[in-house]
Amino acid sequence: MSDPRDNVQQEFLAEAQELVEALSRDLLLLDEAHHRNERIDPALVNEIFRSVHTLKGIAGMFGYKHVGAVAHALEDLLDDLRLGRASVGQRLLDVLFDSVERFQRLLALEDPQSPEEEPGVQAYIADIRSIGMEPEPEEGDPLDKYTIEPAVLAVLTEYEEHRLRACIREGLRLYRLRAAFDLTAIDDSIDALRDVARDDAEIITYLPSMEGGNEDTIELVVLLASRVAEAELKEHFEGRYGTIEAIAERTHLPTLPPRLTSIPSAAISSGPQPEEDPSQASLRSVANSVRVDIRKLDHLMNVVGELALVRSAIGRIVDRFKSESAHRQSLMDLDRIGRGFERQLSELRTGILDVRMVPLGQVFNKLARIVRQAARERDKQVRLVVTGANTEVDKLIVEELTDPLMHLIRNAIVHGIEPADTRTRVAKPAEGTLALNAYHKGSNVVIEVEDDGGGMNAHQLREAAVSRGLLSADAGHELTRQEMLNLVFLPGLSTSSEITDMSGRGVGMDVVKTNILRMGGMISIASEQGIGTKITVTLPITLAIIRALIVTIGSRTFALPITAVREAIPYVPEEVRSIQGREVITLRGETLAICDLARLFGFRRSKRGEGRFVVVGSMGNRELGFVVDELLGQEDVIIKALGKSLSSVRGFAGATDLGDQKVALVLDAPTLFTEYFDGPDALRALETHL
Amino acid sequence: MSPTLQKATLAPDPDSETGAVAVLAVLAGNEVYGFPLSAVREILAPPPLTEVPRAPEHFLGVISVRGQIITLIDLPKMLNLEVEQTEPYGRVLLVDNGEELIGVAVDSVIQVYRMEPVQIEYASSMGAELSEYVVGVGRVPSHSSTDAEDMLILIDPVSLLGGMK
Repeated sequence: MSDPRDNVQQEFLAEAQELVEALSRDLLLLDEAHHRNERIDPALVNEIFRSVHTLKGIAGMFGYKHVGAVAHALEDLLDDLRLGRASVGQRLLDVLFDSVERFQRLLALEDPQSPEEEPGVQAYIADIRSIGMEPEPEEGDPLDKYTIEPAVLAVLTEYEEHRLRACIREGLRLYRLRAAFDLTAIDDSIDALRDVARDDAEIITYLPSMEGGNEDTIELVVLLASRVAEAELKEHFEGRYGTIEAIAERTHLPTLPPRLTSIPSAAISSGPQPEEDPSQASLRSVANSVRVDIRKLDHLMNVVGELALVRSAIGRIVDRFKSESAHRQSLMDLDRIGRGFERQLSELRTGILDVRMVPLGQVFNKLARIVRQAARERDKQVRLVVTGANTEVDKLIVEELTDPLMHLIRNAIVHGIEPADTRTRVAKPAEGTLALNAYHKGSNVVIEVEDDGGGMNAHQLREAAVSRGLLSADAGHELTRQEMLNLVFLPGLSTSSEITDMSGRGVGMDVVKTNILRMGGMISIASEQGIGTKITVTLPITLAIIRALIVTIGSRTFALPITAVREAIPYVPEEVRSIQGREVITLRGETLAICDLARLFGFRRSKRGEGRFVVVGSMGNRELGFVVDELLGQEDVIIKALGKSLSSVRGFAGATDLGDQKVALVLDAPTLFTEYFDGPDALRALETHL
Repeated sequence: MSPTLQKATLAPDPDSETGAVAVLAVLAGNEVYGFPLSAVREILAPPPLTEVPRAPEHFLGVISVRGQIITLIDLPKMLNLEVEQTEPYGRVLLVDNGEELIGVAVDSVIQVYRMEPVQIEYASSMGAELSEYVVGVGRVPSHSSTDAEDMLILIDPVSLLGGMK
């Protein structure tokens, strides 16, 4: 069906997207280090250079001319940066940040060669080129301070030589580490060494030593620069990695040995080529992971389900023969093996689910960019504090989350956090804080977006709702403060910018809420005027597996996602009253509307009058009791989509296999709520709107 | 029925020199229906059925086939034919409509016929009021007696999938 060229194209776009995301993430780190006046980590600059370098390479292969041209110009700039010929400044950062957006736009082009883009791209490239270079300070060659073998100096790349000079200039001491490495695992060992060294020292280069080593190992000489004392360094590396010695400093300036000394041939032929090209390192690090189409994982999940069915069929056969004593021992063995099989199967299932999980950090990085952008646009000072970026959720959820969270973040900066002068007037720090917290809670993941801004004015929200006819004045007076705040989720209220500016929150909050509900999540709001606002989003960890309450309605089995269920109570027909044609009961003094699902689904009147249950569902600030026949218990179920041919049938989020080919429909609580409270017409209107 | 659709759904057997089409004939509610064999993925014994409340009448419900949820339809009802269905259906065909696999409940499977284009009377040339899911009718030897012919209603699988509203 699909053109292989298309596939290749998709692969390219996915990889390019990943590179741009990595670039964006690293730029934020660079920005942060710059603003805190910290030393710029050379590894970070190198990482940025590699991303752009790789992007340039693949863009060229796939005919993304503009992407390639921009990447090429950036690569030159970054090369200057890492070689110390340019330095990090506001202008350079702005140009680099621009590139992220630009790459994304260029990658989204229908025609990657589009001539219309040409002028914009050229202007941007001119911008990049215009960033001035700073000449390296000439104050005598710092290399002269040390006695480094000419053979070593001769093989240093330009970058390594630059780092060596920079380190000496910064007052780092040079050390020589001799260590034997296993030939088969040499790349891993060197990566491990790099990790260990990261905090204490910088690895300038490594070369095979001319002596030592045998068939399986090779001795490398690693040139290290470090600011920690020799004794400490010894403690760290000695024994684990080999011997370490300080390189002697010269007491008087010598004449530098000629640079072009020939390299002893043994240095090269005695082992694998030492890595010199930094881009090779990046290729190696990505080789540990693969990109997988999520549909392939869905397919694997189906296979696992199928295997479980095969397993239970075998189990039944074993049971049937158990009564016959002839092969008693064999049957017991078979039974035991069957159990082992089952355990492995459940491991496999967990494993596949695990593969679908990605850290929320993927979204947070995108959001950090929005924060920076929105803060600059509005001229506000905002500090982003992220916790729980490692919290993992299903890949599909991560994709769906970006837009709603982006909305929340923008709202917090645009409408929540006050300008610096307003903040200082009320004795708040000039810099506002925006916190993004994520953590697991049972089978849910909770994401909080919290700001220390002006908070929302609940009364203004109520007045706005009344003046717009969304609420009668009388009803408005009965609202609690929390209910007033919840008005922000009403469609028609939050779309008006003039009101949201007053109330301090809310552009498109109804859309945000709809998106979250669609994922089976919940959203709640807490706000104190003058103190700040916190929006809490609760989501299932995976869309594929949900915890559900299994119920029967008219002798058919259904699953109701537990996220929508608050409690279940016995149904007492005598307590049902009718208000305006709707059935209600009283629960703890409150009126609760109930909906008989058997009637809604057109099943014949259930025989059971008694012994039925009311499952109380809650969706945002609304509650509704679903009348069901029996409660069968809770279960983790895998939701599967209904075929497209059934897309016109409302009220079901999908179906799930309960084993033995028995299928239960999964009730779609948000849709049932909307249908009940706003009528089927509202539902249709909502759908055409979306 | 557009000519392109007929062409797409009744693609001739590549081995045939005359443009013959392999058609799977099935019995459902006293009528014989034909599906292009190329669109039939599988023939199954009926798995347990789960009704879908509020779905139109011609949807019998959903079944699970190796973990995949598949919509099962009642063919005569779909074609608005009044049939008194007394016996439970005996087989399920999995038919690919180009977008999803659709389960079609039938009483039994008869056999595969190789039909020459001349044996098929296309709906467009008949002018009769035929359902939009029908390509045309063909005549095949009777499945029940030796000297008679059956009218075979040739189904267009593409409209069967996409055409459901």
